Amino acid sequence: MSLITTLISWFLFFYGVGFPVLLIVSVVRLKGFMEITRYESGTGFMYRVNPVTKVLLGLAVMGVASTTVWWIGALLTLAISLVYLTLRDGVRKLVYLSVVLVSSLISSMWSVAPYVTPSILELAFPHQNLVTVWTWPSYFEVMGYQPNLTLQALMYGLQIGFRVTAVLASALILVLTTTTSDIFRMFTKLRAPLSLTFSLLVGVRTVPRIFELLDSSVKMQFIRGLGRGKPRIVYPFLLLYSAILALVPTMVYLLRGAKTMAISADTRGFRASPRRTEIVELGFRKEDYVIFGVVVGLILLAIVANLLGFGRSVPYLGV
Amino acid sequence: MGFNGIEGAINVPGEIPWEIVVLYFLGALLFVVYYGRKTGGLRSFTTIDLVYIGIGGAFSVVWEFYIGSFLGRFLPSTPFVSVGFWGRLIIVFIIAALVRKVGAGMFTLLVYNLLGDLFHYGFGGEPMYFIYESLTYGLFVDIMIAVTGGHLFGIGKELSNGAGEATATRTTTILGVIQGAILGLTWAIPDPVFYSAFFSPFLYGSYVNWAHILFNLGAFMPGDIVMGILASILAVRIARAVGQ
Repeated sequence: MSLITTLISWFLFFYGVGFPVLLIVSVVRLKGFMEITRYESGTGFMYRVNPVTKVLLGLAVMGVASTTVWWIGALLTLAISLVYLTLRDGVRKLVYLSVVLVSSLISSMWSVAPYVTPSILELAFPHQNLVTVWTWPSYFEVMGYQPNLTLQALMYGLQIGFRVTAVLASALILVLTTTTSDIFRMFTKLRAPLSLTFSLLVGVRTVPRIFELLDSSVKMQFIRGLGRGKPRIVYPFLLLYSAILALVPTMVYLLRGAKTMAISADTRGFRASPRRTEIVELGFRKEDYVIFGVVVGLILLAIVANLLGFGRSVPYLGV
Repeated sequence: MGFNGIEGAINVPGEIPWEIVVLYFLGALLFVVYYGRKTGGLRSFTTIDLVYIGIGGAFSVVWEFYIGSFLGRFLPSTPFVSVGFWGRLIIVFIIAALVRKVGAGMFTLLVYNLLGDLFHYGFGGEPMYFIYESLTYGLFVDIMIAVTGGHLFGIGKELSNGAGEATATRTTTILGVIQGAILGLTWAIPDPVFYSAFFSPFLYGSYVNWAHILFNLGAFMPGDIVMGILASILAVRIARAVGQ
């Protein structure tokens, strides 16, 4: 009996940590990360919206998801995910996003549920008897696990997860649908110092590039014979191993390229004068007013939900 | 219940008094402004420094949110090991070693925080986090740069005390490693102390347990020191590979 308990417990442990990773490395891969962190030109609705408006939308989503009951966060996640269909290669982006969201849900659920104490659960689910679904072997307490895994702990983990997914999905829309120059203009409009905006933009452009370079480096290691003749089951681990090995070369490569980028910015007269001059003015169009309407709607939703008793029921204590 | 669940609790038993926190951050800010004026601040960064900082911020985001966070889940949750944080530590130290100007540390963390918001958090904790992280982790790095006179980890330092070149190189390496260890040690402090004993109760209303905080402080130190040393060695190599 205790052997079976041990086996199932370890299976659950590895499911919580391994399944999201497996999902990511088998479906999204580094290439997928590159695709959902990089701007590609398109003609959909979100491409015509001012970046400031997109930030505002993201803030509203975050506000609503964190002040209302979990299923509103879940619905918001679904609604924002559907917006991805209007993007260029929408279906593929939606698939990548869904996998990232599902794995993030599973992993945030399992990174919270086993550790959350009954006293917190009583705050989150008042007047409910905690239903134990699994009792861990006693030595799991070394890892900080609570003795029992309860249904409420799982729900608590899931609820926190949905708050994260709504924000994640809306945050990525900005970088997916806005050109780097427009993000630059947005920060200039917001009066951020030019040096800060520049570094930030280098960062925005570099994030997908890092995935791309890591991907090539990983592929090169496989071409050179990594994992030859090994069973397929160890491939995900080899992939991870090769990704770690790829880090330093990628970093050196990017940092060496920094000189070229700096020279090209300098030859264009970067920081020659304290302020930028604008050829393209960022304006607000009718699409922006639609999003403003959505933002107002979201704020109203949060207020109504709170009045009706669907406010935040989870005290997020940062376990 | 406030916006984004921020409680604003400043009277939780055991919590660091808010006056001390405000004094620290005001003091740090004054120091930064004073030093920035003295050395030229943002203007003293060349374009290539800004590119390095941008790349460093991006690398930290990719590591902490996408790669490190998954790797970390394979290990049991213990305060002794923190894969995501260690990655950021190494990356920030490397960037600081490449730029070697006061402000590099703070600026890298500021960019990292803003990028984290763009790609992940959606401006959830701002402006709290970029003030907190820049003026603790970033400031420590900058103080080390100031103390070493811009020769962080012994990079670019010429030792001509009559000893042979090999001895000089070894001395520089040892000095660099010691600096890395000290910096790693300072990076172990803000999270348990500032975060658990002030920000966590302030933001989420959690309770303060000093036994837990002191344990965490002790548990963070060995790993962070080892990573600091590793970072200093890596930084010297990368600075050489990049051609400084």
